[in-house]
Amino acid sequence: MSAQESNISQHSTPCINGIGIVFGQGRGIARLERALIRGWVPPELLDLSFFRATGFPIYQVPAEALNDKTFSRKIRRADRLSKMAVIAAADAMADSGIDLPDTARVGIIFATAFGPHATTFKFLDDIIDYGDKSVSPTSFSHSVHNAAASYVASVLDIRGPNLTVTHFHFAFQEAVRLAGTWLNEEKCDHVLVGTADECGTAMEFIASRKLHVALDGKMYPFQLRRMPSSVPGEGSVFFVLSAEPAGNSYCALEVDGSAPADIQVINADGMLPDESAYLNALLPHVPVSAYTPLSGSFMTASSFDCAASALMIRNRVTYPPPVTDNPHDLPLCGDSTPAPSRVACVKCGCGGKVMVMNLSG
Amino acid sequence: MTDKSVVISGMGAISAAGATVRGTLESFAAGTVNAGKLSLFESPLECPVFEASSLHPPRSEISSNSAPQDGDRTLRLAMAAVGEALRDAGLDSDRDGLRIGVCLGTTVACQLNDMAFYRAYREKGDAPMGAVDRYLKNNLADAVARAVGADGPSATVVNACSSGTDAVGAALSWLRAGMCDIAIAGGADELNRIPLCGFTALSVVSPNVCTPFDRDRQGLNLGEGAGIVVLETQKSAANRGVGSPLRVTGYGSACDAYHLTAPRPDGSGLEAALRAALAEAGVSPADVGFVNAHGTATRDNDKVEGAVLARVFGDDLAFLSTKGFTGHTLGAAGGLETIFAGTALREGWIPASPGFANKDDEIPIAPVTERTGIDTRCAVSTSLAFGGNNSALVIERVGQ
Repeated sequence: MSAQESNISQHSTPCINGIGIVFGQGRGIARLERALIRGWVPPELLDLSFFRATGFPIYQVPAEALNDKTFSRKIRRADRLSKMAVIAAADAMADSGIDLPDTARVGIIFATAFGPHATTFKFLDDIIDYGDKSVSPTSFSHSVHNAAASYVASVLDIRGPNLTVTHFHFAFQEAVRLAGTWLNEEKCDHVLVGTADECGTAMEFIASRKLHVALDGKMYPFQLRRMPSSVPGEGSVFFVLSAEPAGNSYCALEVDGSAPADIQVINADGMLPDESAYLNALLPHVPVSAYTPLSGSFMTASSFDCAASALMIRNRVTYPPPVTDNPHDLPLCGDSTPAPSRVACVKCGCGGKVMVMNLSG
Repeated sequence: MTDKSVVISGMGAISAAGATVRGTLESFAAGTVNAGKLSLFESPLECPVFEASSLHPPRSEISSNSAPQDGDRTLRLAMAAVGEALRDAGLDSDRDGLRIGVCLGTTVACQLNDMAFYRAYREKGDAPMGAVDRYLKNNLADAVARAVGADGPSATVVNACSSGTDAVGAALSWLRAGMCDIAIAGGADELNRIPLCGFTALSVVSPNVCTPFDRDRQGLNLGEGAGIVVLETQKSAANRGVGSPLRVTGYGSACDAYHLTAPRPDGSGLEAALRAALAEAGVSPADVGFVNAHGTATRDNDKVEGAVLARVFGDDLAFLSTKGFTGHTLGAAGGLETIFAGTALREGWIPASPGFANKDDEIPIAPVTERTGIDTRCAVSTSLAFGGNNSALVIERVGQ
């Protein structure tokens, strides 16, 4: 059956032409590169009353990473989540080096699991403290999930389609898939696809109750067992996706592609009640890596895997996993693993669902 | 109409205007406006609201082994409309082997905003996790996909008030790309204290029943509901023998890049979205018989939208806002209004735009003031949203 007969459009694979990132170790793709080379560093330890053990481990975005004089006026009212997204998106555009003569031809797809929950809780504070008639309109307008994407659009003057999607496990994957359709339909010349999730105080409490927070501050992504350990994290990554390589091109990116991979990157980060599903999702004999101990645990952190994988392909290097406990004898990436030209980023969700993002270059 | 159009093979609607599509049309025909006092939760705010009072259990509206048993109100609204839409599409029982995606818009259902949970956490430093567990289970698209056994793409669109329209637009892209053969699309939102307080704080809630596009309009009324369409590739519809004449033929979206809550005064974002949707559908403004406008009855929205509609379609445009029947249902609005545009094309009439009495000199055109027969194959539905999002859908009727 031809593609036309099956109603499937002929399509090309989108290219990553720029990356911007802000995470627990700072801002910028160079910072991620350094983190991948340096390996594991211990998280910050917070003294929280609801966490009985000594110090609540967390990879928090440092405040200085969100200070940017270029945008300070435009984002002075923005909440933390929006600031993360603006900085990552602006850095992605700058990293791409692409000149944008027509910003109406640029789209934005923003993916988040929990959205601006800290602002939502701040709004609930208003209701509790001051009553229904005396709440802050600013808190309300910033509590909608698409506020971050709106800030990205207004700061960068991007006037194409602008969409925010939410999902607890696959928000980023669905965003990339949709971006691919926009490029193939020629709705856009470029799509800024990104993620952001924050870990506010109430979320720290929820994490302390719902997750098995690692008392030693270390995640072990290859344990792949029930009740895996996690270290809450937060951050934002944006990618400039285009139909063709342009500017500072990294590699091609496709969801659920069929090409065999040189390396498999798993997103095991303690956010699933049982991570043994990864064992069934992995191809045998293909080297495995995981970078979640650098980003921390959060629902959209698979975008960090994607950024790390893009760096490996462009830089023609293999970054070894920062934590290497390996009870299942998986073929972990090491110094002798050849630099990959194809990487599969594997993400397992609830109910046995698995999505794979294929990067190639 | 281009060969990229997709078939609307089923529709389901629930709102204050009715528990079903047919019931809604009866309200439209009778001019019934079911605005009333808030009863769903306690609040000192006194303003009319549009509650979907017809939402009752049973909760299992469709054949499924995993229908939500403890779903929140938004999910229950969605499932009521999904059930009707699947029945309408002939998909209420046998869905085996079909590649079905789910793309739904919402605003309230995406937020972890349970007041009891948060109050307990704030006051005691501890809280039971029931509300969190319920929230984690009820991502709208995911929960619906589980309930109907859909294993195609799944996304919850959270684009504020254009969420439903954008969800239909995203599903259109999925179907054209071959990612699925059938998509359940639209939106759902419950009436909730958070947006009621928030919109009131923004001074855009009317103390009286809303009057979209009227000179003396005072703002919006919040509503709730769900509007769900079953979209299908032409090939899939043909294989299943679907006879629906309705098609979604174009979607356009553009961002104002201007302000978080106010529309760009020149309306250039909405105009870009409209022109993109028309171009994608391969139709001209002259082909469009009427527009189901966003028409929230806020001063800014109606002024900008009215000016853009006149600029794009001319002064003789027939248009209406159905917010006077449903209230502003936020994430559900785009789904509901897609259905209202489609049923109007099918039935051959649009209702009077409720609440409108006096033309606003700042708006060059006025909505229809009586039930109006339409003889057209093409309609447009528009949505504007927080964040500066503007979206438009072109809906067509074949066989004319």
